[in-house]
Amino acid sequence: MSVARRVQQWATFGRMWYLYDARWQNPFHSADKIKLYLAGRNKPIYHPLSDCGDHVVVINSLDIALPGMEWEKRILRKAVYNKLDKNLLRRGRMARLHIFPYDKVPDNILENVSAQMRQLRPVPIRLDQIPEEEVVNFPKVYDWPKDHVIS
Amino acid sequence: MTSQTWNRFWGSTFVKAPLQNGVGRYVQQLQRITFKFCKTHGGSRGMRDFIEKDLIEFARMNPGVVVYLKPRRHRSSCLKAEYLNGGEEYISAHKQSSEEIKKWVEYLRTQSGYSVERLRKYQHTDRPSIQGPWTPWMHRDQCINIAEYPQEELSCAVKREKTATQELLEKSKIFVGVNNSS
Repeated sequence: MSVARRVQQWATFGRMWYLYDARWQNPFHSADKIKLYLAGRNKPIYHPLSDCGDHVVVINSLDIALPGMEWEKRILRKAVYNKLDKNLLRRGRMARLHIFPYDKVPDNILENVSAQMRQLRPVPIRLDQIPEEEVVNFPKVYDWPKDHVIS
Repeated sequence: MTSQTWNRFWGSTFVKAPLQNGVGRYVQQLQRITFKFCKTHGGSRGMRDFIEKDLIEFARMNPGVVVYLKPRRHRSSCLKAEYLNGGEEYISAHKQSSEEIKKWVEYLRTQSGYSVERLRKYQHTDRPSIQGPWTPWMHRDQCINIAEYPQEELSCAVKREKTATQELLEKSKIFVGVNNSS
């Protein structure tokens, strides 16, 4: 194999490191997305016998938005673990998942990150995060009646 | 027979030719062919006919092939071919007519010397892709190569439609503009 072909091979099977911001994201829907990257199913070269999965670095995992009472049941790591294919490759794929509770990531991991995954849903902004001036100047649609009591 | 048994004993290969034989030039791969036969037995009669009628013509047409005749008493007739790559092939010609043997000789002459195996694919190309194989960076925005991570713009979800707040703000701006002009 010539040098050019060899480098082509390295490029094709190069491992990507994806960063995923889990802030305000549903962990179960996120797991559906993350499992594709861990197994390499997002690539056109995917083959079950070739080891072409990517690393996924999840940050802000403490700020996930769990639906209903799921807080008491499951967490993100377990959600991904459950969504992955049930075979001998599952532990190896889980080893490529790196979860961090805040947006602080160790430098030796952050330097590997080569792309970022898009979040599934927009992050809502709380009223106390909007600057005071913008809140005051927001257009008024209607006035409260004089005798209306806001408790 | 299961495919596993087949693969264990007969093997499998891809379509191949020795040193791209046949592209631009053709090199005869058959080097030696030995005709083994008996001079008296009936089982070798077809072989004796072939030797009388067609063998001289065959040797004249293929000057690169060494032809051996090996008479042996009271043994059945056979063909033994040896190839440039060291491959050998043995074919029993017992009780075969001279026409059949002629076909077998033609078969041995045109072989490459590789053993006959199941083909895993029926086509082969040295250059499977003109555009080049896929890489993780193909069809990606090149800004990801120099971006500082984490980055808000690359992370946020794709916005599909405006929120009610945004629409209200836009409408109020138009309303204010109309009021100011009038």
